[in-house]
Amino acid sequence: MHIAEGFLPPLHAAAWTAIALPFVAASARRVNRLMREQPQTKLLLAASGAFAFVLSALKLPSVTGSCSHATGTGLGSILFGPSALALLGTIVLAFQALLLAHGGITTLGANVFSMAVVGPWVAYGSLWAARALNAPLAAGVFLAALLGNMATYLTTAGQLALAFPDPVSGLAGSFLKFAGVFAPTQLPLAVVEGLLTVVIVNFLREYSGDELRVLRFAPEILAVEARS
Amino acid sequence: MNARNGGLLALAVVVVVGSALIGSRREGARFAGSDGQALEAVAAIQPDYRPWFGAIWQPPPEIASGLFALQAALGAGVLGYYLGYRRGRARRRRDRADAGD
Repeated sequence: MHIAEGFLPPLHAAAWTAIALPFVAASARRVNRLMREQPQTKLLLAASGAFAFVLSALKLPSVTGSCSHATGTGLGSILFGPSALALLGTIVLAFQALLLAHGGITTLGANVFSMAVVGPWVAYGSLWAARALNAPLAAGVFLAALLGNMATYLTTAGQLALAFPDPVSGLAGSFLKFAGVFAPTQLPLAVVEGLLTVVIVNFLREYSGDELRVLRFAPEILAVEARS
Repeated sequence: MNARNGGLLALAVVVVVGSALIGSRREGARFAGSDGQALEAVAAIQPDYRPWFGAIWQPPPEIASGLFALQAALGAGVLGYYLGYRRGRARRRRDRADAGD
């Protein structure tokens, strides 16, 4: 989902930056308030960011014979709420854009929007929906991480399609082409991310009940069932 | 919980290894990055598009792999610290509770 440096036309790059900016600003405020009001969750927030850091550094092989990486943003989103993730995701993406030439400064806004805004919101919404349907917590967490991951890549496909509509088949044709590049490769990786996120959540429910209970966003759904 | 998490981790390994095995049987499998393939798709749709801005700094490949490893190590380090700290603390509390009985 890293659109390479310079690969969005200037107008698109500027527009995505403008769209992503308020999310990042709101996220900075939210994280700031979290640190002030619930300093005991600082370490858990760092660990959630670290989870995204590891997962987005590892390129894993896929069934298509190509490789890609997970995003790791689902975990932090279901614990701290989706708005906390925009800042964490921006840090990850800026690190990669500046030091690894992976992604870019001109495409940072677009990449932040897909990985640190859409992914986390879809993950959060998925968990909420799964719980509303009375699905077991583990299933909800698994789906949240999986769908957040897929949504991130489909957003990237949409961004590329908007910038490069196919001369024959238009926007839709172009979207299908880019989604066809990303989605099949991404699916097994999204499953892996889902499994790992469930592992971490299981651990937290066993050992971090007190932190989960103070998190306003780690929905009571986590805290209620947490063993202390 | 430990047994269940062990099972989930084993399943994750099976998915990764299985994907690699299936993927490597594909014709022309080079395990190229999907981000790069998306750029090829851009070139196919709009052959005359030229990126208008280049990376400010491009690490040489060997250095880049080291930086990727550093990113993973930093993340794994912080995550591992948290998990170990929490587990140790829970155990200490349990021991104390037992001693108090």
